[in-house]
Order: sequence, then structure tokens, then C-alpha cells
Amino acid sequence: MIAGLVEILIFQGLGEIVSRFAVHFIPGPVVGLVLFLGWLHVRGSVPPAVDLVASALTRHLGLLFVPAAVGVILFWPHLKANLLPVVAALVGSVVLTIAAAAVVLRVFSGRSSDEA
Amino acid sequence: MKPEFPDIHEIWVYLSGSPLLALILTLAAYQVGLVAYERLGRNPLANPVAIAVALVAATLSAIDMPYAKYFEGAQFVHFLLGTATVALAVPIHAGLRELRGRVVPLFAALVAGGATSIVSAVGIAHWLGADPSIVAAFYAKSVTAPIAMGVAERIHASPTLTAVFAISTGILGAVFARFVLDLVGSKAWWQRGFALGVAAHGIGTARAFSVDAEAGRFAGLAMGLHGILGAVVIPLVVRWIPG
Repeated sequence: MIAGLVEILIFQGLGEIVSRFAVHFIPGPVVGLVLFLGWLHVRGSVPPAVDLVASALTRHLGLLFVPAAVGVILFWPHLKANLLPVVAALVGSVVLTIAAAAVVLRVFSGRSSDEA
Repeated sequence: MKPEFPDIHEIWVYLSGSPLLALILTLAAYQVGLVAYERLGRNPLANPVAIAVALVAATLSAIDMPYAKYFEGAQFVHFLLGTATVALAVPIHAGLRELRGRVVPLFAALVAGGATSIVSAVGIAHWLGADPSIVAAFYAKSVTAPIAMGVAERIHASPTLTAVFAISTGILGAVFARFVLDLVGSKAWWQRGFALGVAAHGIGTARAFSVDAEAGRFAGLAMGLHGILGAVVIPLVVRWIPG
């Protein structure tokens, strides 16, 4: 498990360095993700230790959002003053986005979707 | 004089000075959220993240702890978001094999979903007269939170507000997905999962995994691809729009 964590952390570090010095418009973790994806592709398989850590992290992804989301209390007065546009934009946008993606998928995959 | 047991006030001062309190609070609130979600039959309305955030926020205001102080401790959990982003390479790698023969529909859905997300959120907020600082925080909200925060910094929007919108989007997406997908007649699990992943990133993916494994894998793939695409394209879009 530690070996998997070390490997992921190394790629996170590499991502931060590459982002900082080469492609600063892409956040470090995204660069790390792309580099790691390339490495997994080259290697052809995912080592069990990496799989273990990655599935633990992705399964509890929700937990990792909590500290940032609690930041809502800082913006509470500001948000309350803009409550209608904020709620309308959040709800309207997510509903439209899900619908748009689903409709495009169905249209572009034609009949093959019914077989799945 | 024999040593006295410290009174409760001293213990409190000690605990609130260490990261322990914030960590316990965060993890315990999330645990309560998870138990509630399971007890209620994984009802999308009982989203564990929403429950945890409400509990932590209520506790902080009850004990009068400023957010900055809470974050000092909770940053250890927050840090792992970057690690988790890198770890997304694993489900994406697994999902890439399933891309075969579906590249065109998936890529089209990704672009359509990403564009719809920005245009509708920024459009609605602007049209209803939201503050410019709030409108700016809507650009990256359909991208997974760690990436959204990085993008927000680059487009001079508030990273925290962007994260709040991103997470709210994730929760709302998880709540509404079933109804919207049924409404537009989406049936195949891979399509339902991918659509949810495009719109509602991590929390949508967590929801998709709890419903169906194939949906979860495609949601994870969508989240990752949208994150990569968003990180590159959103700063360009913002530069392109006057204002």
C-alpha cells in the first residue's frame, strides 16, 4: 500500500514541478494525472498497491471535498444577497448539462446504445 | 500540592489549538453523512457530502471557531484532493479500454456538456443580475473541485467560491441525475454514468458508483477527461470573453 502511495505522490510532485516551470496554465495535479496516465499506459498494467490506494482515494472522494465546501460559511452573506441567481444557475446548469450530455451520447451512438 | 486534573476549559484550549479537532470533526461528520445515506437506502437527497458540510458548518458556528482556524487542521484532508486527482489516472486507465468504438459519442458529449455547463451557469447568473465575483466563480464549476480551484486562480475568480459551486453542482447533479436521465430517455448505464460524470464530477461519480459499477467507471472517465479539457480550455474561454 505504501509503495502505491509513494508512486502517486511522486507523480503529484512531478506534476507540480512541470506545471510550475513549463505549463503554468494547467494545475499541477492535472499534469500529474496526465503523466501518471501515460506511465500506466507505458507499463500496461496497474500494480495492486497503486490500485489499492487509488480506489481508496476515489471511493472516498466526497470526504476530501468537505474542508473546501465548508468555506461556504465565509461567503454566506454574499451568497444570500445573490440567492436567486446562484440557485437558479446551479440547478439550471446541472440539469441542462446532464441532459445535453445524455442526449448527445444517445444521438451519436445510435442504435448500439440499446444493446448495452 | 498534588497535581490537579486540568479543567475542561484547558482541555478545550489545547484541543482547539491542534489539527486534531478539525480532523475529528470532518471525519465524524462525513461518517454520519455516510451512515445516513446508507440508512435511507442511498436516496440521492441524503447526499453524504451535503450532510457533512452542514454538520461541520453548524458545529463551527456553535463553538465559534473561525473557518481559517478550522482549515488549519482540515487542510490535511484537503491536501489529499490533489493526490486523489492524480489517482484518477487509475479509473481513467481502466475506462480507456472501454473507449473503443465509443470515442466519437463520448467526446461529443464531453464537449457538449462542458459548453452547456459554462454557457448556462454563467448565462443564468449574469442574466439574473448576480455579482460579477459570483459570475466568475461559475466558469469552472462543472470541473472536479481540485482542478476547478486551480482554474479559478488562473482566471482570477475566488477558488473557495468556485469550490463551493463545484461541490454544490456535484451534490445537485447526484440528486437530480436520475430524474433528468429518465426524462431524456437515457437507458444504457455507460451513457447515464458518463453524462453524470461530465456534469457533476466527483460527487456525481461517487453517486454513479453506488448505483452501478459500469456507470461509475464511465462517470470517473468523464470526470477525468472533463477535468483535463476544462483546465486547458476554460482559461482560454475566459480570456476570449470581453469583460
